[in-house]
Amino acid sequence: MPRRRLLIASVPLVLLSTGCRSADLFAGPDPLGGRPPLAHDTVVLQDAIAAELDLISRYKSAISTSSEPILPALLAQHQQHLAQLKARLIVPAGAQQTASPAASPAASPSASSAPAPAAHPVDGLRDAELASAASLTARLVSVQPSLAQLFASIAASDASHANALGGS
Amino acid sequence: MQAPAGIAALQAALAAEQAAVYGYGVAGAHLGGASQVTAWQYWTEHRDARDTLAAMITARGATPVAALAYYDLPFPVTGAATGEALAAHLEDGVTAAYLGVVAVNDANLRTFGAQAMQASAGRAAHWRGSTVAFPGLPVS
Repeated sequence: MPRRRLLIASVPLVLLSTGCRSADLFAGPDPLGGRPPLAHDTVVLQDAIAAELDLISRYKSAISTSSEPILPALLAQHQQHLAQLKARLIVPAGAQQTASPAASPAASPSASSAPAPAAHPVDGLRDAELASAASLTARLVSVQPSLAQLFASIAASDASHANALGGS
Repeated sequence: MQAPAGIAALQAALAAEQAAVYGYGVAGAHLGGASQVTAWQYWTEHRDARDTLAAMITARGATPVAALAYYDLPFPVTGAATGEALAAHLEDGVTAAYLGVVAVNDANLRTFGAQAMQASAGRAAHWRGSTVAFPGLPVS
């Protein structure tokens, strides 16, 4: 008998003799257990992306009705925030998806709790910036250090935006 | 004995605040009018932050780092423009230092560091006249 056939034939015998079940031999996720849940950081990151998309949408809306010269520069920085947040997002193939941030930004907790539109678009943006900074500060306590630092930096940027828009 | 979490980061933030207290003294001397009033206000905020950090470090059983007698300035300060540039530079240094506090695995310290970053980023934007996308992070 070829050597390979001998080895294959001996596997069930080894299992029986050691009392092992097949599951004991594989320490990874159960391939039959359905899609794995998303990691905590991934869920938090998706929420942050949704909130950033919401802010960008607010800026675009304000720019369409206001000639404030500062708005395009702040919008550009929010687009930089979004790019960095998306660069950190890794969703494993087959993982359970939460609400798609790109498709439904209003579905995120942060977006739903965002301040209502103000009478003056800049006032609304200032409130939204402050709310974003507060939200990111709350989120950063539970994620990995490098992601916490990105959130903290974006929150600091958002807070400075609020100052630049006339808040303090 | 292992030092409590965050001591090194807090010491780095304290050192940055001490440098800011020194540097604002130099910058403020070259400013006038409203800018000088703002500089003294920010100087007071940095002194308060310095004292807060020193107390936090002491409460964790460590000895706060001592301020230097003299700090090398990044460039000569000869007037209002360079004074404001120095103030912005100091705030950038403070923001970067607090970024280290945010990386500590302690929720209270992370929140403290993040809020301090928001204050210093706002002050830096005041002096620079514009905001940046990623305060405290290396420029990419």
